[in-house]
Amino acid sequence: MNKNVMVIGGGPCGLEASAQLHKMGYNVILIEKEKQLGGHLAKWDRLFPEGIPAREVLDTLIERINGVKCFTETEVVSINLLDKEYNVILSNGITVLSKAVLMTSGFDLFPAEKKEEYGYGIYDRVITNADLENYFKSKNDARIAENPKRIGFVHCVGSRDEKAGNRHCSKVCCATAVKQACEIKALFPDAEVFCFYMDLRMFGRGYEDMYLKAQRDYGIRFIRGRVSEVSETIDRQVIVKAEDTLSGKPLKVTLDLLVLMAGMQNSQAGIRVGNKIGMKRSEDGFFTTKGSILSLQECDKAGIFYAGACTGPKTLPETLNEARAAAISVHNYFYDTEN
Amino acid sequence: MKERIIGGYDNFVIPFMIGIIFLLTYLLIGLIRILKHIPGEDRKKLLFSFVNPKILAKDIRDIIRDCLLHVKIFKRNILLGYMHASIAFGWFMLIVIGHIEVALFVPQRNGSLYYPVFYRFFVSEQNYTLKGAFFFFLMDFFLLVVLSGVGLAMYKRIRSIALGMRRTTKPCFADRVALYCLWSIFPLRLLAEGFTAGISGGSFLTKPVNMLFANFFGNDLNIYPTWWAYSIALGLFFLAMPFSRYMHIPTEVLLIVMRNAGLKVTRPRKGFAEAEIYSCSSCGICLDACPMNVQKKNLKYSSVYFIRFLRRHNTRKINEIADKCLMCGKCVALCPVGVESCNIKMAQRGTVTEKLPYDYSYLEKIESPVMASQEKVLYFAGCMTHLEPAIIKSMKRIFEAAGENYYFADSDGGLCCGRPLMLAGKKEAARELIRKNTELFLASGCKTIVLSCPICLRVFRDEYKLPGIRLLHHTQYINALIKNGRISVSKDETSYVYHDPCELGRGCRIYNEPRNVVMALGELKHAAKERKESICCGGSVGSLTLNFEDRAKITQESLRTLTVESPDKIVTACPLCLKTFSDQSKATPVCDIAQAVAEKMV
Repeated sequence: MNKNVMVIGGGPCGLEASAQLHKMGYNVILIEKEKQLGGHLAKWDRLFPEGIPAREVLDTLIERINGVKCFTETEVVSINLLDKEYNVILSNGITVLSKAVLMTSGFDLFPAEKKEEYGYGIYDRVITNADLENYFKSKNDARIAENPKRIGFVHCVGSRDEKAGNRHCSKVCCATAVKQACEIKALFPDAEVFCFYMDLRMFGRGYEDMYLKAQRDYGIRFIRGRVSEVSETIDRQVIVKAEDTLSGKPLKVTLDLLVLMAGMQNSQAGIRVGNKIGMKRSEDGFFTTKGSILSLQECDKAGIFYAGACTGPKTLPETLNEARAAAISVHNYFYDTEN
Repeated sequence: MKERIIGGYDNFVIPFMIGIIFLLTYLLIGLIRILKHIPGEDRKKLLFSFVNPKILAKDIRDIIRDCLLHVKIFKRNILLGYMHASIAFGWFMLIVIGHIEVALFVPQRNGSLYYPVFYRFFVSEQNYTLKGAFFFFLMDFFLLVVLSGVGLAMYKRIRSIALGMRRTTKPCFADRVALYCLWSIFPLRLLAEGFTAGISGGSFLTKPVNMLFANFFGNDLNIYPTWWAYSIALGLFFLAMPFSRYMHIPTEVLLIVMRNAGLKVTRPRKGFAEAEIYSCSSCGICLDACPMNVQKKNLKYSSVYFIRFLRRHNTRKINEIADKCLMCGKCVALCPVGVESCNIKMAQRGTVTEKLPYDYSYLEKIESPVMASQEKVLYFAGCMTHLEPAIIKSMKRIFEAAGENYYFADSDGGLCCGRPLMLAGKKEAARELIRKNTELFLASGCKTIVLSCPICLRVFRDEYKLPGIRLLHHTQYINALIKNGRISVSKDETSYVYHDPCELGRGCRIYNEPRNVVMALGELKHAAKERKESICCGGSVGSLTLNFEDRAKITQESLRTLTVESPDKIVTACPLCLKTFSDQSKATPVCDIAQAVAEKMV
């Protein structure tokens, strides 16, 4: 009996699901398009709410997949259903016949240059949340001045923004922004830090505490109001125009650094795979699950399963839980179809 | 030629007389209503236009070109033009020659409404006279012309695409009645005149018909029924006309006269607008023009249906369409009658009485900019351009390269130009901004204003009074810089397609300067629809209610027409088009013309 399971995407979700399936005795084939495993987690410095180093989490996840067949720098060339099994041809020339395919393709960050009014890629002092994480890791980014005096964070860049094509909330950026604001304040204690937000969605355990701490201990200034436009001064500082909707007044601040909290959208690579076999996507661009409560891990095509951010924005713990849930769903599918 | 029927009357003229008297009364009342509803100032303008020989000559020229010959439709499609011109001009000639015949041969019947129409019933031929035969020939000739047009019209109902129209309107009940009457009038006239041709005489068309039927029937019993049928068809047509699309035939004359007198729409349903509304021939050319047509469900938002609902006083639908429209102006540009439906829609939006708490007291605190004496050019980017800072950055580089001493008026944000408020029907609010902006520009002492946003340019041109100041869009300005050698650009193999923004193209009629600039940079490729046929990018600030999904469909269609020749780059000249396209163009990069120039400056 063929117990192959194809897992597409080697981020934290793919790693955890592979580890679980492997433990259950399945023959897991994990593919990842990048050179290294870990997805966005590999590029991140520390994780909210407690600031655990991302590297530690990732190392543990990679340790657990010991024994799983794992191909990096590999993509799906074609996928089609033969009788009851999926025939998946990979870019490294290998063909896999597998009864179940698990999509853990994750998300792409919203390309911040699409919100041209925020000046990413046009002004020197504008970076994204991912750029900032990279800076925290490497302490090297030419766009960040020696000793920035004023730093701003813009929430909801490409989230909850119909004009940008994404109506959904990306869920993690609020907490990320608060975390990053505290971190950068710790790095540059003399700097004034502003957060421009619409609402702060501090839904998770410990998030509210983090938010309180940011105000109380770090003195971060939270301004409710969307940034309307950004311009540049002669000495390359950025001028941010916004409205403080709590005081009802327009506002203009000159900053040395502006961080855009780019949101989540379905990954292009995942969509490419989905299109090969006609996986449905909802209006928000993410894959449509079979049900919204009882069968969150299943696609309406038998044998295809989802886990993680490919079905909507999720935090890391949620993603890992979904990975485990998906492993059980796959297991049940094998059990049901064999008996 | 002599009178055959003593008294010059027969009962069969009654249906025709009822129809024509009803129609003439209706038209007279309509005319009085319209004149009553236009502002007194406009009435003066109208009166003045009748004594101004220049306007009078233009009136006559336009009436001949548009009402009789339909030159605009000819330009669009020769067959469609011929169909309209043959019926309109042919019928007109039949009426004119009919009256000439009466005046020449039976002058005692001058002034009778029906006599010229049924002339051949009432006269008999004495002997062959050259004079009579000449008019008989003309009448038969124009009857044939009209019949050929009617034949085409019938064919158009079956296959409209053969006459260049993909979509046609759905006719309403009165339209159908009038349409079928119109179709039957001229064949019936041919039959009636054919049957009487033995007595009254005829020419190349009616004589053979007469001989053919004489062989069949051998008697004259068919004369009466056919003349009755002809009269009934005419009468019914005139009765149905005020309620049908054919009302455009008489109203268009009034529209031309009023438009040439310089009248503008002030109210959405009364006065000048009423003349516009009844001038709509419901032809449906705007259905093919409207960017909404990418989705069948949105065809109902086309101007033709807007005007139909206005005629029916269906307020809910009128408001729905008025708010939905993108105001791209393509239907106005292509309308054969020239109905300015966008102006009517703006007036309609103005009638919605939502009292917004406008407070423009802050305007008084704004001080006018002081330009250094060497700065001659004032650059006004506009708020939309501030959302696309790459354009501003490029413009700065171009100004510097050209060595221009310019003053960047809204570097720190400026006042709104007023156009978005105008489009929303908030004329009074817009006036406040226009007044303040005018004051600021006049005080600045500038001689030239360069604008990056066509939306601003449109309202600056139409509504601002800035004597002595030249208004230039940056495409015009850059074109002049290249021409005068103040900047030089390198030309290479890159191919571009140029998108005509609505407000720049149809709004300000700037089509050539941007193309000249693009040709200086590389190869200019054609779009499937360009110049005045260009399709809105979908991002227009004109629509108040169109949702993002529907807008995205329009954007996709616009991008499709732009990329038919697979250009390397799409260039546009409006920050709003740029924003809309760059979000959705997957394969082809989009940039503003200023960016394209700045990239290639040497």
